[in-house]
Amino acid sequence: MEQNNSLTPFPQGLASPPGAMTPVMPIFSPTMRYNTGLTPQPVQNTNSLSLLEEQQRQQQQQQQQQATPQLYHSQVSTTTALPGNTPVHTTPLTPMTPITPATPASESSGILPQLQNIVSTVNLGCKLDLKTIALRARNAEYNPKRFAAVIMRIREPRTTALIFSSGKMVCTGAKSEVQSRLAARKYARVVQKLGFPAKFLDFKIQNMVGSCDVKFPIRLEGLVLTHQQFSSYEPELFPGLIYRMIKPRIVLLIFVSGKVVLTGAKVRAEIYEAFENIYPILKGFRKTT
Amino acid sequence: MASTSRGDSLPKVQCPNHPDAILVEDYRAGDMICPECGLVVGDRVIDVGSEWRTFTNEKATNDPSRVGDAQNPLLNGGDLSTMISKGTGAASFDEFGNSKYQNRRTMSSADRAMLNAFKEITTMSDRINLPRNIIDRTNNLFKQVYEQKSLKGRSNDAIASACLYIACRQEGVPRTFKEICAVSRISKKEIGRCFKLILKALETSVDLITTGDFMSRFCSNLGLPKQVQIAATYIARKAVELDLVPGRSPISVAAAAIYMASQASAEKKTQKEIGDIAGVADVTIRQSYRLIYPRAADLFPPDFKFDTPVDKLPQL
Repeated sequence: MEQNNSLTPFPQGLASPPGAMTPVMPIFSPTMRYNTGLTPQPVQNTNSLSLLEEQQRQQQQQQQQQATPQLYHSQVSTTTALPGNTPVHTTPLTPMTPITPATPASESSGILPQLQNIVSTVNLGCKLDLKTIALRARNAEYNPKRFAAVIMRIREPRTTALIFSSGKMVCTGAKSEVQSRLAARKYARVVQKLGFPAKFLDFKIQNMVGSCDVKFPIRLEGLVLTHQQFSSYEPELFPGLIYRMIKPRIVLLIFVSGKVVLTGAKVRAEIYEAFENIYPILKGFRKTT
Repeated sequence: MASTSRGDSLPKVQCPNHPDAILVEDYRAGDMICPECGLVVGDRVIDVGSEWRTFTNEKATNDPSRVGDAQNPLLNGGDLSTMISKGTGAASFDEFGNSKYQNRRTMSSADRAMLNAFKEITTMSDRINLPRNIIDRTNNLFKQVYEQKSLKGRSNDAIASACLYIACRQEGVPRTFKEICAVSRISKKEIGRCFKLILKALETSVDLITTGDFMSRFCSNLGLPKQVQIAATYIARKAVELDLVPGRSPISVAAAAIYMASQASAEKKTQKEIGDIAGVADVTIRQSYRLIYPRAADLFPPDFKFDTPVDKLPQL
């Protein structure tokens, strides 16, 4: 498929169709330097736990996310790589010209928050016997008097899962959406190998945490005075200012050093949007000494 | 002759010549007098004052007023129920020694929790000698929170403690969370949680605490003279202005300033003593002290009399 020079209309608002298991791709944001030329891959709505497929899908999506110019041309060949997954149509790759929306007068911050933690849940679809899981699986701990779930850990991606007897599972600690999904699949695979008819239903990312550094000290007292409906700054209770942004609904912890932690997002774009919203406000409260 | 207009549903007393005039009450004679023309409009009005004069007399154990305690209409829901008090004399006891008419507890069950909380608030405030206006403010806050019911699941004691904290803040004399913890059975964490929830529920906010708010209390508790207190206040304010202690809690900065001022004066206090009074760990005082020590010479007020010169101050 050759690249044409005309700009392919980029589907905004890439929401996965319900029931599909593609992770939501980063919605177009001003911080993305080059567009990634992505359209959602047509994936069979499969609950199969084939890790090979999952890993290949993950690698491909990671490549596409990084979107370095060199990879663009090499990507032409990888779109058909999935085994047993005949794509209905090959995806045309858009040219490398960055499609930026009409940017407002203020420039973007140039800083990208890094994701630190993703919490996701998935339903394995069958009742589990936690005792056998704890006894037979490696790296599993189960203390029913303390907590009613098996706590299992894997090394790659470094995550922890809470597996409940109802079959529901919480996966925490991943650094990106695809890693969270891959890790959840690995846990489900472990459970499946122990003999339970595990499925992979309703994978959903519940919370995303990101952090970044604005690289200048901030006057928190000034911020709490002007934004007091949103901020809460109690140095006796916590050294950071807790800013509850309404739109998007994100909670930011802002520290004197200039470090900012953003949490409460369901998608990556909310974190980016929240940071873009707060950055000009923080610039206004920069410490001048 | 004027007469009360009893024909209406409401017996509204008014002067026939001046219906708009507000009548003046003459309680000694029980009259309602029109101020415009001096006509006595109503007479034999019931006197609601006290029945007889009571002087404070050590021998009189009971107040013979039959009218009862002053009503608390702002805080209770108009408590008009009847209570049977404990009997005096031998006749009030039946056989077995139990008192007759035991049922003196049922009163406005809806306000019972609120009255309990008010009692608790008064107890807590007495322990730290808070004035009446703070107690009243706390009661009002508690009433507002209680009626809103948004914090219904939380322990009433926790809400009361948090209301006390907010009231002290609002009156401009903040108490630290640890000081409130000292007089309450609730943990600092729970008080902090309730505090944030109450601010949200009542949609108010409080001013940020500053180092100067605590100086007079801490210095008096340590027995430091006025000069040292002034010096410590100045040091803490300067330290914050020069941004020597970014991100440090104002309490820790205040404690470090008191330490520096007391070490430079004749009344030297140890970090442990200051930490006990302020509720700050002595390592924390040490940390903050290390931050302000390098600029010690700039921080002291210009007219301070040094007992120990600046270069001889302890360096930790």
